[in-house]
Amino acid sequence: MVSTGRLGRAAAIGGAILATLVFLFPVLYMLSISFKVPRDIFTVPPRWFSELTLDNYTSYFNQARILPRMLNTVIVAAGSAIISMVAGAMAGYALSRMRMRGAGVVAGLILASRAVPPIALVVPMFLVARRLGLTDQYITVILAYVTFLVPYVVWLMRAFFRSLPPELEEAAMIDGCNRFGAFFRIIVPCSLPGLVSTLIYCIILAWEELLFALILTNDKAVTIPVAIAGIAADTEHGGLWGPLAAVGVLTVLPVVIFALAVQKYLVKGLADGATKG
Amino acid sequence: MGPALVLLAGMLLYPIIYTVWVSLSDFDLATFQPSGWVGLRNYQAVLADPGFLQSLKVTGVYLVIALPLQMVLGFALAFLLNVEWRGRGLLRALFLIPMVVAPVVAGGVWRMLLDPLWGVVNYALGLVGVGPVEWIGDPTLAMVSLILIDTWRWTPFVVLIASAGILALPTDVYEAARADGAGRWRILRHITIPLLVPVVAAAFVVRWLGAVKMFDIALAATKGGPGQATDVVNLYIYEKGFRGLEFGSASSMATVVLLITMIITYFLFRLTRRLENRW
Repeated sequence: MVSTGRLGRAAAIGGAILATLVFLFPVLYMLSISFKVPRDIFTVPPRWFSELTLDNYTSYFNQARILPRMLNTVIVAAGSAIISMVAGAMAGYALSRMRMRGAGVVAGLILASRAVPPIALVVPMFLVARRLGLTDQYITVILAYVTFLVPYVVWLMRAFFRSLPPELEEAAMIDGCNRFGAFFRIIVPCSLPGLVSTLIYCIILAWEELLFALILTNDKAVTIPVAIAGIAADTEHGGLWGPLAAVGVLTVLPVVIFALAVQKYLVKGLADGATKG
Repeated sequence: MGPALVLLAGMLLYPIIYTVWVSLSDFDLATFQPSGWVGLRNYQAVLADPGFLQSLKVTGVYLVIALPLQMVLGFALAFLLNVEWRGRGLLRALFLIPMVVAPVVAGGVWRMLLDPLWGVVNYALGLVGVGPVEWIGDPTLAMVSLILIDTWRWTPFVVLIASAGILALPTDVYEAARADGAGRWRILRHITIPLLVPVVAAAFVVRWLGAVKMFDIALAATKGGPGQATDVVNLYIYEKGFRGLEFGSASSMATVVLLITMIITYFLFRLTRRLENRW
């Protein structure tokens, strides 16, 4: 992109590292709490460690069934993110390109559906799920999440598609591709950074969602945020900040690993130079 | 197009209609069903409820300060993170973490950091001679804290989307502009900003809709207090519905919030479209 001098580059990198550290400070603090013994957590002045402990990681690990709940969360997040990406990206493409009457209105309505307070949605969803005998099932949670992910996907992908020049798929269609071919062979590869970013966002939203999971599950399909809320509600043992921080660290890890794994797709769009000549 | 619409209609229209229906009825807690029709009585009560009006005001203040702050900060950071070097992938991944920390845990960690007695923030301020600051206890500072925590949590979203938008900028246009002798400022103003407008607008609208619904962080960090200083409207509705079990008035409030949000969102759409067409 905009080329900067050697000095400007160094300053930008320094700034980026500094900003990351500032944003990570609360997370590092959480990480430190997760290895602290209770008497080190609340001290004046703040103290580093008098001794290191793994108790916080082990104490609730089995009781709160962290592993199966982690698996549930992965299934629910991956399922809802993939369904939403497929449905939402195609809808976003249609809304960005087709000269349909009312496309803007449809796009607006889809997004405006997100204006509904979730508290208003969750009670009727629970009643419907109960009537269909679908409470505490993956599919119920996945569909509930799809409803709130699809509008975001449509809206973000529509913006990313709009920033691609229409000549791209026009050229492909002249070369004998149909709309679908042009979409999958040209548009999807060219908007990979947008697709990957939107996918990461969907995974994160589904990963940390609490309200729907709390109401729609009770045992089999319980996700990590519900388990965390359970630990937080356990006031019998006083403030459980050590275990909460430990579970917090454990839930962050998979997402960071996933984000690192998909980083290589978050590269310069392939549209570069495609419109040249 | 089709599948998305069917899903949305099924999973959204029914709940909305149901909510409006509950808002016009008494709610029978024994059967967990709406019972008698009461017309607009719930709405009258809600609109005369000073607590509800106060929570709307609090939400407005939070939105007006937090959203522009997060957008500007997010795009600035995305440009910084875009400079090519080996570590930028790692930084981008690490930058996602604040969004992933469960709200209950994030709120708790921030409460600890900001605690007036043994919090790390006040300890650091004390070292440079700034006296103990009542971050959560003072009404104004509680709002500052809430905005601070929300900005910490959601600026990474703007960074994520902005990074993708910046990556998709076509380099050949820049080469052409530079060949024509355009300066950095002119390139920013006439190429970068116009090309990014759709992505900026989309990120803003998505963040706006997320922020309107914010309540988990307020619940975990400040519990809406002190008094009602950080009692955002969704927290107020949540407390009414799930603590007070007043589902009738909770539903009326939800409907009122829905209406207000729809109207503002509509104007945001119009503004977005005008911006997109202008450049």
